[in-house]
Amino acid sequence: MTRYIARRLLQGAGTLLLVMFVLHLLTTVAIQLNGNPAQAFFGDKVATPAQVAAVEERFGLDDPCFDQPGNPCLGPFAERLGQYARGDLGTNLRGREVADIVGAAAPNTLRLFCVVVVTWLALGMVLGSVAARWRGSAGDHGIRLTSVLIDAFPVFVLLIVYRYVVAVPLNRWSKETFGEDSWPPYWFRPSFDPAHPWATVLVPGILLGLAGSAAFIRLVRASQLESYAGEHVRTARSKGLSEPRVVVHHVVRNSSVPVVTAVGLTFAEALGGAVITEGLMNIYGMGGVLWEAVRNDDVGLVLGIVTLLTTVTVLVMIAVDIAYALLDPRIRLGTDD
Amino acid sequence: MERMTDMDRTLTPRPLAGAWRALRRRPDAVIAAVVLVLFTTMALAPRLFTRTSPRSCDIREARVDPQWAGGAHPLGTDSLGCDVLATLVHGVRPSLLLAVVVVGVALVVGVTLGLLAGYYLGWVDYLVSRTVEVFLVIPLLLAALLILSLFQGVDLGGGTFDVILLPAIVLILFSWMPYARYVRASVLETKNLDYVTAARSLGASDLRIMVRHVLPNAVGPVTAILPTSVAGIISWEAVLSFLGIGVRPPATSWGIQIEQGSEWVTGGAPHILLAPLVCLVATVLALVVLGDALRDALDPRLAR
Repeated sequence: MTRYIARRLLQGAGTLLLVMFVLHLLTTVAIQLNGNPAQAFFGDKVATPAQVAAVEERFGLDDPCFDQPGNPCLGPFAERLGQYARGDLGTNLRGREVADIVGAAAPNTLRLFCVVVVTWLALGMVLGSVAARWRGSAGDHGIRLTSVLIDAFPVFVLLIVYRYVVAVPLNRWSKETFGEDSWPPYWFRPSFDPAHPWATVLVPGILLGLAGSAAFIRLVRASQLESYAGEHVRTARSKGLSEPRVVVHHVVRNSSVPVVTAVGLTFAEALGGAVITEGLMNIYGMGGVLWEAVRNDDVGLVLGIVTLLTTVTVLVMIAVDIAYALLDPRIRLGTDD
Repeated sequence: MERMTDMDRTLTPRPLAGAWRALRRRPDAVIAAVVLVLFTTMALAPRLFTRTSPRSCDIREARVDPQWAGGAHPLGTDSLGCDVLATLVHGVRPSLLLAVVVVGVALVVGVTLGLLAGYYLGWVDYLVSRTVEVFLVIPLLLAALLILSLFQGVDLGGGTFDVILLPAIVLILFSWMPYARYVRASVLETKNLDYVTAARSLGASDLRIMVRHVLPNAVGPVTAILPTSVAGIISWEAVLSFLGIGVRPPATSWGIQIEQGSEWVTGGAPHILLAPLVCLVATVLALVVLGDALRDALDPRLAR
């Protein structure tokens, strides 16, 4: 097991390095083709070459290779890796440390993800189990239709409708019904309130979770159907165990391994959804900061946050693989990888 | 009767022909196809649906309510006085073209790489698999935000392809991996089957074996994910355009319209937002339904 983890960590470190290199290459090519993002610092104002040069130096863009298309700029890459290793993610256009911003924003993103994962698991396990238990029934078909409908409403559309059409009247209604200081008006606030982070993150999180839950419903249904057809379930039934016991101990439990790992695998996708959610709902999280950075043309901040979030994704994938190996002995004992 | 159709579905030499027959029997798939044909016609010939130009805007007629079939502005006008229906109809082309181009190119790239990796294994496979792994961990939206914001200021001109060029490149770069994975898996499954060995011992070249004998087995699973992929790209485009880094003005797209409309919902003109939103949902829903039906039709395990 230790050997498996060590190997997986090593492999992950390699992937991480490659990912950073790809991001670096893309940025470099963009800068070489498009001219310098340092110009954005000045917005519409005309800057003197000396001013531009000063800004370039501050953002580490002063290397001549950024003016030579085709040059992979390995020097600045090594320099940047060194900075990352020291925990320095660069600064935004106003000179604030990206690490600082991340420290302030990350807790809200974590809150959002908590709500999302709970929604995924709750919807996926309940609806998927019901659909598998009564396969072919009206309920099964209804759940299937629901999951197709969920797929048809991208999280972007859900949030736009919620924020601009539903939230305002709902907020007004709940204020009138429950009073200014009760919880419901905070739940339905159309934008984030740092004083009540959990309450204002709840509904956007549920919507984001809802948008991703279709895949979970299908996965739970498929893996439980496989369990129902399995020999261990037939054995359990034939030795006279009650149906609820068979369902809970032999079907749900056995089919929860792929579900747990799917949480990790959908992480990358959910991260994209989180950016949209936080951006649209003004949540001060990593995604919200990124969204604003794109709007303000703040390339340094965009690069810092994208690098960090990608790193987190790699770490999550490694964690998923290790969890999978812990849960399923066939993986860690297998010799085929 | 039912058994007969089941049998000829499994015996049919071309899986797509069987899928086509199965699809025609499903009313939801037929309705979805009709919706898609409608929007495709809109993209190809926008003038069939509206004679108003989306650029002829009269600010004095801003935010007119929908007048439906009778009036000059059937779906009303937006905040600048442009006809909503005209903008909508002319916005279909960039959105659909982008989605089709992205999925088409990504498909070719993914299938080629997957085929080579699965067939030759060894270092080719190592290279492709590692590349897939690296690109998979970079979330598509994050990469798109990074690259497109770097290219925000570039002027590429206003031609049909120019307005979608940048988002197309970025989306292709980060969406070919699933195809490569599916194809690689089904090549691995197929390439040691008896009929492939027979073809090889008859002296068929690698290329011929790959294209004629191995690839057709991968067509099923890949086709099943195509409609959903197109739907996915359409909604990504809406997000990117909403942020101002997708399809470029002066071209319009549903994402740009949604962005403009979102400010006016509480200002008494919800139709500016709702019109493009309804179209977006209708298209995505049609594609998802079609994808769902295709998945059933192409998966022999579900046919029984």
